Amino acid sequence: MDLRVPSGWIFTLLGLILLGMSVFAPETRAALTTENVNLYSGICMLVFGLFLLLLAWRATRSNP
Amino acid sequence: MKLAPVDYVILALYFAFVLGIGWRLRKRISSSGDFLTSGRSVPVWITSLAFIAANLGALELVGMAGSGAKYGIMTAHFYWLGAIPAMLFMGIFMMPFYYGSKARSVPEYLKMRFDEKTRAFNAFSFAIMTIFASGISMYALGLLLRLVLGWSFTVSVLASAAIVLAYTFLGGLTSAIYNEVLQFFLIVMGFAPLAIVSVIKAGGWQGIVSRLPPNMTHAWRYMGSPTDNPMGVEIFGMVAGLGFVLSFGYWCTNFLVVQRAMAADSMSAARRTPLIGTIPKMFLPFVVILPGIAALALSKMNVGYAFPMRAGSPNYDLVLTTLMAKFYPAGMLGVGLTGLMASFMSGMAGNVTAFNTVFTYDIYQSYIRPGAPDRHYLTVGRATTVVGVLLSIGAAYLATLFNNLMDLLQLVFGVVNAPLFATFLLGMFWKRTTAHGAFAGLSIGTAAAILTLSTTVAEGNGGWIAHLHTFPSQMAQNFWIAIIAFTTNFVISIVVSMFTTPRTDKDMEGLVYGLTKVPHDATAKWYERPAPLTVMVVILLLILNIWFR
Repeated sequence: MDLRVPSGWIFTLLGLILLGMSVFAPETRAALTTENVNLYSGICMLVFGLFLLLLAWRATRSNP
Repeated sequence: MKLAPVDYVILALYFAFVLGIGWRLRKRISSSGDFLTSGRSVPVWITSLAFIAANLGALELVGMAGSGAKYGIMTAHFYWLGAIPAMLFMGIFMMPFYYGSKARSVPEYLKMRFDEKTRAFNAFSFAIMTIFASGISMYALGLLLRLVLGWSFTVSVLASAAIVLAYTFLGGLTSAIYNEVLQFFLIVMGFAPLAIVSVIKAGGWQGIVSRLPPNMTHAWRYMGSPTDNPMGVEIFGMVAGLGFVLSFGYWCTNFLVVQRAMAADSMSAARRTPLIGTIPKMFLPFVVILPGIAALALSKMNVGYAFPMRAGSPNYDLVLTTLMAKFYPAGMLGVGLTGLMASFMSGMAGNVTAFNTVFTYDIYQSYIRPGAPDRHYLTVGRATTVVGVLLSIGAAYLATLFNNLMDLLQLVFGVVNAPLFATFLLGMFWKRTTAHGAFAGLSIGTAAAILTLSTTVAEGNGGWIAHLHTFPSQMAQNFWIAIIAFTTNFVISIVVSMFTTPRTDKDMEGLVYGLTKVPHDATAKWYERPAPLTVMVVILLLILNIWFR
């Protein structure tokens, strides 16, 4: 098993959930923040997740 | 702190993934070696991150944020001074003997190098400590979840233990290690945003510096005298006690971390495991300690953050969770809580997998039933996993009965760990060290640690026999106990070795410096060789220490 696959998937899913929150419930804020924390964190997680999946996909292409 | 449905969804998603990884890896297990030592087959980037994650339990995470608020940036010495030099030493100098000896555990290496009695001493003390360590962290997690979320202590303890048991039982060490990497990513992703938003809110690093006393924002400048800095230690106690004895004793001899490097797929990968691990380790203070320092600054700013208190004094254990409640909205709060659970599980799985290997190979196979077919030891390994988890749960409940058990055990761990490094240092680098010398040194060194603890007092602890000296802080006492225990062990081992007969060179091939072929990777790429990696790490480490001096 290539660990990059499940790691990539969990962060892609977490990123999508947080992005969903930031779009559909954009007023969700904690007491001390004015920023949309879910939006920024969601983007980072999605990018990280997709990056891991890309690495795993490239590895299967070079030695199937 | 109140959770929204989305937070529960995120937590459930995490549980599904860790269990799924265990399920997928179950087919890899066909021998006791597959289950207990991963059959030496794990890629180096995975062992490196697992090496860090197994040490990053929930107690460390919560404790480091609390220490950040209590001691300031000096807390980072537990990483920069108290881990990285030892990790480098272990990778460059010690791994060739651990990996090259083909020992399956640290106690087994002691058996090969010395004899049965030193192995037994190490195996039993390690097994008992591991169970208590995982029980205590389970207890701390149960308390925290009850306090912060109102969850039942029993449900959170049993449910989290059951998940760890399920995936370690299915996939053994490989499953624990693979999950540790996933957990490491989740810890960083769950807490890095907290560090960023809390530091920004506190006005950036400059804003924090302007609001706190200068000895909270400097790592070195106030270490001349114990009264000048919040830790109450002076530079010699810090560098020799933490930086040398305690950290080398932990990172170079504790099977919990060494086991991760031993699982690597080649000698070169095993050596690079701790070396590569130093790079994330070096930057972890910014994720785990910085929020605590920011919390203290925020509490002085009138922005709506009140420092958690209990009965009139600061309650440092709640620093991390109060910050999460104030800065994380529904969604990110679920990820933060997942990070906390992930840290707990990585720490506990580390303890459980180290315990079952030491019990199966060093206690069961050595003293209870030697010479059985491998199939039998695989069954014993699996059964020990269940028993280890049950014993940890028992230890967690024991901790609920005795309020001070936790403090006492921290002292005991210190006492057991303190003299150990001298035994390994002499054993690996001085071939004249004899088995009797090592055993005498280790026993008398441990006795010296207990004696020091019983005759000195710090913050009301110790001094049960006599009161010869008072330390300014418990930390200073710990550091000095370590220094005394190490020195005693070192001297006694040498003296006794001089009067006893050493083993022949032929018996010690692969076990001692000078009689072991240390591999040269001159043909490998620069980042695959230990020396250039080490130089790079040292330069980065110097820059960080000069920056925060």
